[in-house]
Amino acid sequence: MSSILFIALPLLFAFCVPLLEKLGRNGVAYASTLMQIFLAALAFSFFGLEHPQLEIIAIAPPLGISFVLDQASVFFVALFSSLMTLFSLYYLWQRKIKSYKNEAKFFILLNTLLASAVGLVLSNDIFNIYVFFEIAGISAYILTAYEKNAKALEAGIKYLLTGSVASIFLVLAIMLIYINIGSLNLALIAQNFETLPYNLKVLISLLLFLGFGFKVEIFPLNFWVSDVYEGSSTLINGLFSAIVVKAYLFVFFHILYLLLPSGEFSHFLIYLGALSMLVSQIVALKQTNLKRLFAYSSLGQVGLLFAAFSMHDSDAIMGAFFIVFAHSIAKMILFLSLSNIEEHYKSVDISILQKINAPYLGFIMLIAMLSILGIPLLAGFVGKFLILKSMALDGLFGAMAIILIASLLESVYYFKLSGYLTQKEERGTLLSLDLVQKILLSFLALLLVTAGTAPFLVLDFAAHAANVMLDAQSYIALILGAVQ
Amino acid sequence: MIEIILSYLNQDIVIQKIVLIGSMSLLLIGLFGLLTQRHIIKVFMSVAIMESSLFLFFIGSTFNKNFTAPILGDGHVDFIHMNDPIPHAMILTAIVIGMAVLALGISFAIEYFKLTSITDIDRMNEMKN
Repeated sequence: MSSILFIALPLLFAFCVPLLEKLGRNGVAYASTLMQIFLAALAFSFFGLEHPQLEIIAIAPPLGISFVLDQASVFFVALFSSLMTLFSLYYLWQRKIKSYKNEAKFFILLNTLLASAVGLVLSNDIFNIYVFFEIAGISAYILTAYEKNAKALEAGIKYLLTGSVASIFLVLAIMLIYINIGSLNLALIAQNFETLPYNLKVLISLLLFLGFGFKVEIFPLNFWVSDVYEGSSTLINGLFSAIVVKAYLFVFFHILYLLLPSGEFSHFLIYLGALSMLVSQIVALKQTNLKRLFAYSSLGQVGLLFAAFSMHDSDAIMGAFFIVFAHSIAKMILFLSLSNIEEHYKSVDISILQKINAPYLGFIMLIAMLSILGIPLLAGFVGKFLILKSMALDGLFGAMAIILIASLLESVYYFKLSGYLTQKEERGTLLSLDLVQKILLSFLALLLVTAGTAPFLVLDFAAHAANVMLDAQSYIALILGAVQ
Repeated sequence: MIEIILSYLNQDIVIQKIVLIGSMSLLLIGLFGLLTQRHIIKVFMSVAIMESSLFLFFIGSTFNKNFTAPILGDGHVDFIHMNDPIPHAMILTAIVIGMAVLALGISFAIEYFKLTSITDIDRMNEMKN
């Protein structure tokens, strides 16, 4: 099976929608979910991959586009496709209570989002990455404004404006790369980037940082994020936090490791990530809207990931992989649960957690929150532990202190929320979930517990994936080997 | 006199400088608009101007006036003395994407205006808490 299916199938799905609509209301929804289940199964079938797989599309590199599926990218592809599948399955039951208008369009957008996220991870052509960058952006803008109320549209406009400015920086960087190196292939660019004058290297790096910085939600380019989370619907927030930002993070660091393998600006990026985490957690303390609060919490976790990936250290990257896994799942749980709470109690104010009458949902949310906090026996702990350990070994005590202070602040509001969930107050009407939704949420929570209690099950894979991601030379050899 | 000016302007180095200075001026005009204009449509126009300036810059810097279009025929039997087609293909794609994003943005702005009668981005504060 070819890795191109991850991109081709979701895009082809859009063209089949008029036919699928003839099957009735459920035709599009079921077909989309079935296709996503297939893609998730396909992604897991690549887990045993011994060697990276190069998929050439019509013309061999460096002229043509090719996709690289290695141990690092397969992790992200499997994560995105399985989370999207779980999201769709959850929505199939959620739509009995509340469904989106023009559902066919909604499913098309979900699939273009999935295709572009996977494309960002797999592509080794920088212009192709720009195209996926924009497809992911456009899908996300429309999903943000999907409900077409004033809040959603305002959030959509803000997201679109920042995205457009980001793409200007990225396009300029790509142009400068092409003018000076004469290729768009990442491997060839990586091979020749060293030979560029220092000032030009700094300029291109800065432009790439600004282009991706808006999308990876790093301080101070993340001012728009909380508004977008608040304005868009709660279900969609889960996708933004679990899939979209992770895809941009991967591609940013993938390019960084290729262009700057010796980590020229790593100290700056590590401290920027730590600072981003600290600022986000400070602002999160003041929030009274749960969507905004979870948005700032996401920004904090992205800051931690940014610092970890910037270290150019395989142990730290291994920890970052754990955090990507744990945070994506935990945020998916929190936003899916919150969408049920919002629908039932018509509020997303922080105080609603004191009134909800949903013991099962509360318990699952508690597990997710504790995992984000990094409490032992949950997946988040393993990630944070590995990152902090490698920071200590590398002597980065300043960044470590900032991250620990930020984690402390994070614990203040998450323990407050946990308290709201568990205290014995007079509760509202009972919120009962569908059995399938319960199973899906339990499965996600179980993943967090399993990865936390038995990290050795996935440690080898994570270590290998981290080494593969860092190894720029093998990547270059793989692609340029196909040229000869 | 005019001929002297034209022959001066027709030099490669002068053309490159005109392209560079012209496109960067256009970029600054767009940036100025983005930072100073408050009307949402004008802000989108500023972004579009910035994008266009980049397209001009890229095509201008990779174009050689002595080379032909990269098409075989009319006596051209080999790929020599032809302009690089990749920048043109890239810019064509980027123009399409830019136009799609711009159209989407303006459609959001129109819908938003219908609901709130607001066009000023400083007054878009539904979510300030």
